[in-house]
Amino acid sequence: MLDPAAALALLDDQRRSIVGQIASFVPAVVLAWGFAWLLGFIGLWLIDGLKPAFSLPLPIAIGVFVVLLAAATAVSVVLPIRSGRGIRGSSSGAFTGAVYGMTWMLGSLAIVGFAQGLEFNGMDPSLANIFYPVAFALFAGIMYVLAGGIWHAPPMIVLGVWTVIVGVAAPFFGYPTHYLVLAIGGGLGFLVLGIASFVHLSRLRRRVANRAAHRG
Amino acid sequence: MDELDPVIHAQARLRIMAALATLDAGEQISFPRVQELLDMTAGNLSTHLRKLEDAAYVEVAKTHKGRTPITYIALTKQGRRAFEDYMDALRGVLGAQS
Repeated sequence: MLDPAAALALLDDQRRSIVGQIASFVPAVVLAWGFAWLLGFIGLWLIDGLKPAFSLPLPIAIGVFVVLLAAATAVSVVLPIRSGRGIRGSSSGAFTGAVYGMTWMLGSLAIVGFAQGLEFNGMDPSLANIFYPVAFALFAGIMYVLAGGIWHAPPMIVLGVWTVIVGVAAPFFGYPTHYLVLAIGGGLGFLVLGIASFVHLSRLRRRVANRAAHRG
Repeated sequence: MDELDPVIHAQARLRIMAALATLDAGEQISFPRVQELLDMTAGNLSTHLRKLEDAAYVEVAKTHKGRTPITYIALTKQGRRAFEDYMDALRGVLGAQS
């Protein structure tokens, strides 16, 4: 017969394993953006960052950045949709998720529009190099904090706050070092959280499997 | 002291109940998806679902997606209550022991 303490432990682990599996797209999305930031911003930094010793040609840096951005965006759209496969019927959760997803698009368009507006009012193109990445970093950080609040995920709140701090700090390092700050502070932070989340979830699944195996 | 519900208090069925309890009321999950999440064989899952269905803890809805038959599963209201009672009973037993 199943021992009561073992039953409670199995029950808790199983619930957390299910929730973790359904939410497993989150660390994957975080990792995709971590790579995009780390490699993309280092590429942009290398345009002027190591002069006169080395300079990455502008088209290559931009090209790499756009490809990484497109890939991370695709991951961010496809994986959350796939996570709900086979589950039907909830309207409230779907509404929240849909509004949250739309807000990413709304905010991104707003940032681009705002930059156009600032340039219309005389913002120097060289300042745009600071505005764009920092604006997106602040936006992403706030969206991550909100996600952590809505879906009760403290690590996302931590990541979001950290991203905002990195975003605010970056301009004070000046062009092009601000790219390096975003790459390392932002990109690495994302990678660390993404990997830690994957490790945590796989440990949880293994623990459930072990508990299940011991009782045949 | 409450006796532990023998329908739920068995390893595989406990896991199934715990998994289904994570869904919101009104949500249903397909058989292949819950099988994947629980990492059980189809036969094992079927057998235990039938026992839970017999106890009216779980409702099984057979439907079609296009021409493919698909089965959706969810806890009944009774099943949710039974699961809550079971958890209270578990904690009660453990509380009495400690």
